Amino acid sequence: MDSSVPPPVLNSPPSKARRYGAQRGVKVFLLWLSVALGAVALSVLLVLAILALAGYPALGILHRWIIGAAGNRFNCAASVADACPLLLTGLAAGVAFRSGVLNIGAQGQFLLGALAGVALTTRFILPGPPWLVMAVAIAAASVAGGLWAVLASVLERYRGVPIVLSTILLNFVALYLVRAALHGPLQAADTSAPQSPQLKVIYWLPILIRNTDFHLGIPLAFAVALALALVLGRTNFGFELLITGLNPRVANLVGVPVARRQLAIMFLSGCCAGLGGAVQVLGVTHFMLGNFGNYGYTGIAVALLGRLNPIGIAVAAVFFGMLDTGSRFVEESSLALPHQMANVVKGVIILAMLVASAWMMRRSRSPVPETSENPTSRDPQQVES
Amino acid sequence: MLVLENISKAFGPVQALNNISLAIAPGCVQGILGENGAGKTTLMNILFGLIRPDRGQIRLNGQVVAVRSPRVAQKIGIGMVHQHFKLAPALSVTENLALAVGRNFGLLHRAVFRQRITALANRLHWAVNPDSLVGDLNVGQQQRVEIIKALLGGGKILILDEPTAVLTPQEVDELIPAVRSLAEAGITVIFISHKLSEVTRLCDRIAVLRRGEMVFAGPTGELSSGEIAQRMLGTQSAVPTLGASSAAPGPIRLLLSRVCCPVPGRHGVKPLLDNIDLSVRAGEIVGIAGVEGNGQTSLMDAILGSLPIRSGVIMLNGRDLRHEAHFRRARQFACIPEDRQGQGLVLSLSLTANLMLRSYRNPEFSRFGLRRVQAWRAQAAELIRSFDIRCAGVDVPIQALSGGNQQKALIARELCGHPPVILAVNPTRGLDIGATAFVLQQLAAARRRGGAILLIHSDLDELLSLSDRVMVMYAGQLFPTHWPAVDRAVIGRMMMGVAPQAA
Repeated sequence: MDSSVPPPVLNSPPSKARRYGAQRGVKVFLLWLSVALGAVALSVLLVLAILALAGYPALGILHRWIIGAAGNRFNCAASVADACPLLLTGLAAGVAFRSGVLNIGAQGQFLLGALAGVALTTRFILPGPPWLVMAVAIAAASVAGGLWAVLASVLERYRGVPIVLSTILLNFVALYLVRAALHGPLQAADTSAPQSPQLKVIYWLPILIRNTDFHLGIPLAFAVALALALVLGRTNFGFELLITGLNPRVANLVGVPVARRQLAIMFLSGCCAGLGGAVQVLGVTHFMLGNFGNYGYTGIAVALLGRLNPIGIAVAAVFFGMLDTGSRFVEESSLALPHQMANVVKGVIILAMLVASAWMMRRSRSPVPETSENPTSRDPQQVES
Repeated sequence: MLVLENISKAFGPVQALNNISLAIAPGCVQGILGENGAGKTTLMNILFGLIRPDRGQIRLNGQVVAVRSPRVAQKIGIGMVHQHFKLAPALSVTENLALAVGRNFGLLHRAVFRQRITALANRLHWAVNPDSLVGDLNVGQQQRVEIIKALLGGGKILILDEPTAVLTPQEVDELIPAVRSLAEAGITVIFISHKLSEVTRLCDRIAVLRRGEMVFAGPTGELSSGEIAQRMLGTQSAVPTLGASSAAPGPIRLLLSRVCCPVPGRHGVKPLLDNIDLSVRAGEIVGIAGVEGNGQTSLMDAILGSLPIRSGVIMLNGRDLRHEAHFRRARQFACIPEDRQGQGLVLSLSLTANLMLRSYRNPEFSRFGLRRVQAWRAQAAELIRSFDIRCAGVDVPIQALSGGNQQKALIARELCGHPPVILAVNPTRGLDIGATAFVLQQLAAARRRGGAILLIHSDLDELLSLSDRVMVMYAGQLFPTHWPAVDRAVIGRMMMGVAPQAA
């Protein structure tokens, strides 16, 4: 404004801006980290108190728990193996939520993926080398999960059924579809239970670290998380999804094909969950039961804890995996903590983390006071003069 | 007697209010003037208990009151009508007011409230139907509901935060006697505005804020309008000078012919589009005047394709738009929407992201579908410079900017690519004089570059100063006028529904 101001260096606004952004990012991350660690510490104290009151050796259990989760190579591998399906269902929920699509159906998509995976490695084996059979099974499982998710989109588009409703209901349809298949064409010959035959060992996903549970599906899942992080953070497609999720009215105004993007994200979301199902069958269980876990529902908690960010979801999934593996170790150890009590402990810790995470999200969204009179805000003008 | 003593408030490094003192007598209409960001709203938020001051106190009738929350404020008789309304669109007027004001052990006394609302509305000469859904009301009507809400609780002090920003000149003319009658009933009205003419017409006393400082307080007649403006603005020049378009208009860019829209929904009270004929040529601004809620929103939606039309033709550059996908259609218009925060910007994203919402697809800013972050930043820095957006850097969240700078960012994004067709709705709503001038100048500049501009604006003076042709929208119909050959008052009468030939 004032012409007496000496002409500043031309580069100053972008560099200042970059510094501002970086500082803010680091600050937010540090705050988040401290809140997360604080939440863990507090919930651990709470859990110790509960255990002590219930008459268990609290400190001993904590010690075993930590060893069970990460005490050695084998336990570490078991933790990430437990994290693997949760990571994929967490990604399924996370990418959908981030784009404003309330896909609660990761469970059903996961089950369909697992079903396709087991079908293509036991009953309907295509001719070809084992690696090709596995690759086809995994790909088909992803597509099965994706199509199951797209079914909800179609119902919304043509019949006005809200996705949040149809995905929940389709979870039950998927569950009974799986049971029907496991009682029917996919049932093992030597049982009357809803149970598939076991996969031949050549169709098991290879173990990458000897004598541990670290199978090929684990790096695959983390690679998917990384790829999604790149797609969401670095591409136009990801930018469009972000706008669609945050403010669909703006997306409409600037010409983002909102309906198409939401369909795409639904397919992608279902693919992640379906992949999770196949990886769990081919990498861990090697057969399928009528009751195949609650990974889809837990994935929602993982996604929220990871703040809908693929990297955050990966961290959250590993955390969940460590809790699970640790609890199994404690239950099987000489301390004999009952399974229910272990679940109470897990529940308390997850709840505390989610509360802390929600608090952080609210904080980062709280309105910032207007800075129109901020002295630093004069910079761009000064450059102009 | 309401007394504010030595109120100070800082937001981080920004001193929003510095040692403000003000005494307001009962039954007085106190105007508070100032540009956007001068601290008017902050001061009122302190009075209403939304913000706590760093220093200073509030006395009511001699007693110091600690206004810790809006609830406390309401209890001691302070009511506030915000710039952004706080109403539930899915509920009726009665239900909204009953929820906000009087709950008796969880019961809503609808009948009682309906009566009280009708009584109060009659006193103010307002037509408010207590049973209509708030979502079906237009902005002006919603504001009336808000004012009634603030008064129903037995408020003795009413704060109106920029109440006229959303009203037509006629509605402002109606609001002024209504506010006067409130004052006669002994209610203190604090009237916040940056429109000088309204404040001098309405208020007994005025206080002028500038950058958090009180630069004048006293009776209205003490200073001339020019003196007040000078204190408000410092040395800044006020009214924009806009040359009318010099070049002859070019070919027709946007054409609507006999466009009709079906009745939306079962609460069919919103005006529809009734046989709309409209054309906008390159290099001209066609202004649409009209009281809000007469179909302007539907007109925009119909052009952009989010509202299906029943009959008629919409052409852009001679191409029929009716069968084009909604998103392809939206990409061909630059649009300054009415609701800048809700429809124009993604508030939680950075300034850069908001500036790039239109152009991110251009090869300049993306390669193989990948974002070119450096090019984004450079473009953002360039737009910040050329559109004078005041901000702390390209990465600040856009919600950290003041309203005027948010609008500048929106306009920078929409106009930087020299779009051939521009749709603008109330582009200066809620902006201070400086930002208003800037926006109008940008639209005039876009016209000079050959842009075809459809301007829907509720500020009649700005609309008339800028438009080459003016049409009036009333009850879903569009009437041509002979502007500038006719008088402003004729257009005002047409806006109220007096038939054009009679006018």
